[in-house]
Amino acid sequence: MKFTYNWLKQYVDLTMPAGELSDRLTMAGLEVEAVEEIFHDLDKVKVAEILSVSKHPNADRLTLCEVKVGGDVFRVVCGAPNARAGLFTAIALPGAFLKGEMKIKKGKIRGEKSEGMLCSERDLGISEEHAGIMELDWLTESGMDLAEALDLKDTFIEVDLTPNRPDCTSVIGIAREAAAFSGAALKTPLDGKSLPEMNTSDVQFSVDVLDADCPRYAARLLKNVTLAPSPWWLKRYLLAVGLRPINNVVDITNFVMMEYGQPLHAFDYSKLAGGKIIVRKANEGERMGTLDGTERTLDTDMLMICDAEKPVAVAGVMGGGNSEVSDSTTEVLLESACFDPVSIRRTARKLNMGTDSSYRFERGVDPQLAPKALARAVELLVELAGAEEVPGGIDYADGVTLPEAINLRVSRTNNILGFVFTAEEIKAMLTSIELSVVQIDEDTLEVTPASFRIDLEREVDLIEEVARLKGYNEFPQTMPVVPMSTAENDNMRILRHDISRIMTSSGYNEAINYSFVSPKHFDMLGLSADDPLRNSVTLLNPLGEDLSIMRTTLLPGLLDNVRHNINRQSPDILLFEIGKGFHPLPDADQPEEKLYLTAVISGRRNPGTVELHYGAEKSDILDVKGVLSRLINELGLEDISFDLAPQDVKPYCEKGVSFCLVSPSGTAGECGKMNPRVLKEFGIKQDVYYLDCDLDILLKQKLARKKFTPLPKYPSVKWDIAVLVPDAVRAGEIVDAVNSAGEPLIERAELFDVYRGDSIKEGFKSVAVTVTYRSPDQTLEDEIVGKVHKKITDMILTGFHGQLREE
Amino acid sequence: MEEALLRLKSEAEADLASLNSTQGIEPFRVKYLGRKSEFSSLMRSLGEVSPEDRPRLGQLANAVKQEIEKKFILKKEQIEEGADDAGGIPETDLSLPGRYVPFGKLHPVTQIMEEICSIFEGMGFGVAEGPDVETDFYNFEALNIPPHHPARDMHDTFYVNDSILLRTHTSPMQARIMENQEPPLRMIAPGKVYRCDSDITHTPMFHQVEGFLVDKKVSFSDLRGVLGVFIARMFDEETAIRARPSFFPFTEPSAEIDIACVMCRGKGCRVCKHTGWLEILGAGMIDPEVFKMVGYDPEEYSGFAFGLGVERIAMLKYGINDIRLYYENDLRFLSQF
Repeated sequence: MKFTYNWLKQYVDLTMPAGELSDRLTMAGLEVEAVEEIFHDLDKVKVAEILSVSKHPNADRLTLCEVKVGGDVFRVVCGAPNARAGLFTAIALPGAFLKGEMKIKKGKIRGEKSEGMLCSERDLGISEEHAGIMELDWLTESGMDLAEALDLKDTFIEVDLTPNRPDCTSVIGIAREAAAFSGAALKTPLDGKSLPEMNTSDVQFSVDVLDADCPRYAARLLKNVTLAPSPWWLKRYLLAVGLRPINNVVDITNFVMMEYGQPLHAFDYSKLAGGKIIVRKANEGERMGTLDGTERTLDTDMLMICDAEKPVAVAGVMGGGNSEVSDSTTEVLLESACFDPVSIRRTARKLNMGTDSSYRFERGVDPQLAPKALARAVELLVELAGAEEVPGGIDYADGVTLPEAINLRVSRTNNILGFVFTAEEIKAMLTSIELSVVQIDEDTLEVTPASFRIDLEREVDLIEEVARLKGYNEFPQTMPVVPMSTAENDNMRILRHDISRIMTSSGYNEAINYSFVSPKHFDMLGLSADDPLRNSVTLLNPLGEDLSIMRTTLLPGLLDNVRHNINRQSPDILLFEIGKGFHPLPDADQPEEKLYLTAVISGRRNPGTVELHYGAEKSDILDVKGVLSRLINELGLEDISFDLAPQDVKPYCEKGVSFCLVSPSGTAGECGKMNPRVLKEFGIKQDVYYLDCDLDILLKQKLARKKFTPLPKYPSVKWDIAVLVPDAVRAGEIVDAVNSAGEPLIERAELFDVYRGDSIKEGFKSVAVTVTYRSPDQTLEDEIVGKVHKKITDMILTGFHGQLREE
Repeated sequence: MEEALLRLKSEAEADLASLNSTQGIEPFRVKYLGRKSEFSSLMRSLGEVSPEDRPRLGQLANAVKQEIEKKFILKKEQIEEGADDAGGIPETDLSLPGRYVPFGKLHPVTQIMEEICSIFEGMGFGVAEGPDVETDFYNFEALNIPPHHPARDMHDTFYVNDSILLRTHTSPMQARIMENQEPPLRMIAPGKVYRCDSDITHTPMFHQVEGFLVDKKVSFSDLRGVLGVFIARMFDEETAIRARPSFFPFTEPSAEIDIACVMCRGKGCRVCKHTGWLEILGAGMIDPEVFKMVGYDPEEYSGFAFGLGVERIAMLKYGINDIRLYYENDLRFLSQF
């Protein structure tokens, strides 16, 4: 809701500065979004009278004007077609700043001296009008500041209205609030005037309301209307709140709408067939052209204003072109009605047209306002458009229901607010905002809201008014007294915390990506046509194709992040994200939302470390494997293991450089090297490794219990084995074989070297393993260890086709 | 024997006199004081001398050994101290950077969200999360926002179909939890929310934490008290708070809570649009209609609810000035927090 301070002051005597007014409005629940002084910087813009106009010698389209500004005469070059002798207009003198950016200077234009600039409304930021220089034909004297002559200086205020305050969609509504908190009286243009008698027998037109979505319809007829531009004072108000002046009739309907909050519509009476107004729903497929020049197809939910033959307006939204007032109009039928909010909202939505009128009807217009606003508009039409009012009129009000009385309990009020009010205090507060209050008994007040407060329907609505009038900050800060309770453990939340801790302590930064992604990602990842990841949730109204489906995997988002960082000179990347993937379910409306841990690694192994110490080595698949091992160990996921020869390698992986995490409840995750073809699709030119885990599966796993093992009493001994095995043998399997050999003296086996090279014969590699031996009840003698070691060595040699390394 | 001892002593003293570097210390010790030194073999041969000479020679040998030892230790200390004083090149260049592998960082939004949760958990609130893809019923209708309510304009909603949407707030968790549990209830619900709005001050996805408390006789003053504690913890004890009337269909009375601008301390600056105040959260007493929808008797129970924007709080706490940075996942951004 936009208005200006001077406009507001027409209805309430306020002396406080605009800044204070804004604060008070905000604290009353009318949040002020903008306060802006307007036209305070037009110092060097004056009223000028053009004395003479002559042709510019060097330019066909320019003229030389001699203008009088008070006691001075200036010469100005002007390009406006309407520059003529005797015209009063606006001149910006040298030194003036127009719209805060254009500085006017003395100069020569095409060789002719120009001592200022004659201005259009657009030049001065008054409106978008730029057809010519301003025509101030009601002025008779030059030299005044333009801002003063046009009463331009003002303060613009915009309130961000919440939907519960339709009564404040008008300047008078705001004034009523200001009157309540300032103590000043509200004065409206109709004060002391009586409304004309309506529904008299001699009305020459008729109104038939055939639908309950129109509880009230008032209309009057005016004759001898002369369409003309509105006077400046009226234009000024409309312009200040962003409404474009059109002609006096339309401007008056807009002005009264802003003033009272009642949308009005003016029909050219001569165009209404049969002199009839019929309010009904549209017929299926009925068509009408609206004022904005668009042909609309209507349906049976839409409430229409019709004449004897055809629709002439979409009720409460926009008038029809077929009954529009125009220069030839002399008879105007003025409508002031009330429509059902839901009906109007639905129609405005369907037709995709939000107007100042629909904005108000959607929120609800006071049904008692229609005759008042009608009277005010008629008064202005008589005054400003030379109209002659036809006595009488029609005021259909059968659908109007009066506000019902609400019982307000003092005890309930105090319980909800945590305060102690007396019945008298509550009564005084509510009376101050024009509610009628009668005390029924000690604890009960009967409150009847004024008709303009259609939002007050329930006891709790009144309790809010009590809190609002008291001032929210006047209430104490207390702590609730509730029974002690503890929330159940959320194991998924705990798992996520643990994983985040492990990932960050491994050097990974957390990423958060949008949940919606591009459907192109599936092709970019090289997924087959029937890949289950393609089964996704599509948005009806996405912000764009790139954000149109809900992600089924977190990988593409992270790959986008990798590219983003590489392009910004951060090529060493460790990122992880814990987030949801969305998978449609065949028998449910809502998709399954599964949590994933996905991480990517690219570039240097230890980003952020000193190269001097840590080198510049690039990370590889074992870095990802390492982080998975850490997760398994730290989380205690003892049933999870690596499947190094997975059956179905993901299409976005490089062959042979990927593996799976398996668990008793299914595949828990995967990791691998991204296929360079896929990386190219994502615009990445360096190696990227990734891991992807399903947190639901991880959560299902049995966790190793923390359990104490006594510390060993006897020392261990370490013996090495170095063997040559064929290249194809996986070194890890040798270690696994030793560890699982079932020898009680073997504590563990570890790889300490894997080597291919000059001294090793072709097709073989050297694998060196350290075996740690320990006995729980003695210090081991070489002889005992030797026996076991021999056995293990032989097992490796035969099991892996190895031979001892000769050295 | 005696001769040999005295010769050894004078040789040792001469060697000691010429000893001037740390490198010479150990060879000297081996030569004169070690187990295989000449001195040790002399001591071992003491057994072969005549019994009458043995005590005297024994004493002499001990005296010589003690003297050499004493002088050696003295010399050794001199040399070691001297090495420090002389400023010889130390083995380690201490100006080199220390070795450590940096931790990664949690996303600032996660950090703030966890901080919010832990403050409320400290007050006994439980944490629950709900679906991002929500039904129209829980997102709107159960919260007293029927179809065609103008309040729907306040939510630019992404739809999947007529009845399924991306939740526009975390408030649906109010209805979901109350439907299944009886008061007393103290819960918060953190999560992602979505609105089809994207410009310099809006991202189409952001994070909220919803909270509510329901019991008998819970009041508006209690709401002020609990949020007061939260703000004092999240910002600081001196942070001024103000509540002003607002409107949410699922609370009545409804309030917006502002805090004194953390940038200018309430004096007025660009961040607070010269008002001195920053909007930090929306709150109110749960509307009786919401209670009726979940089968609570509004005459018996009352409660409050609040919702806060995580990105906004992170911006204020960390001074982040561009909301778009949150979802680019630029390492130069992420590593700052």
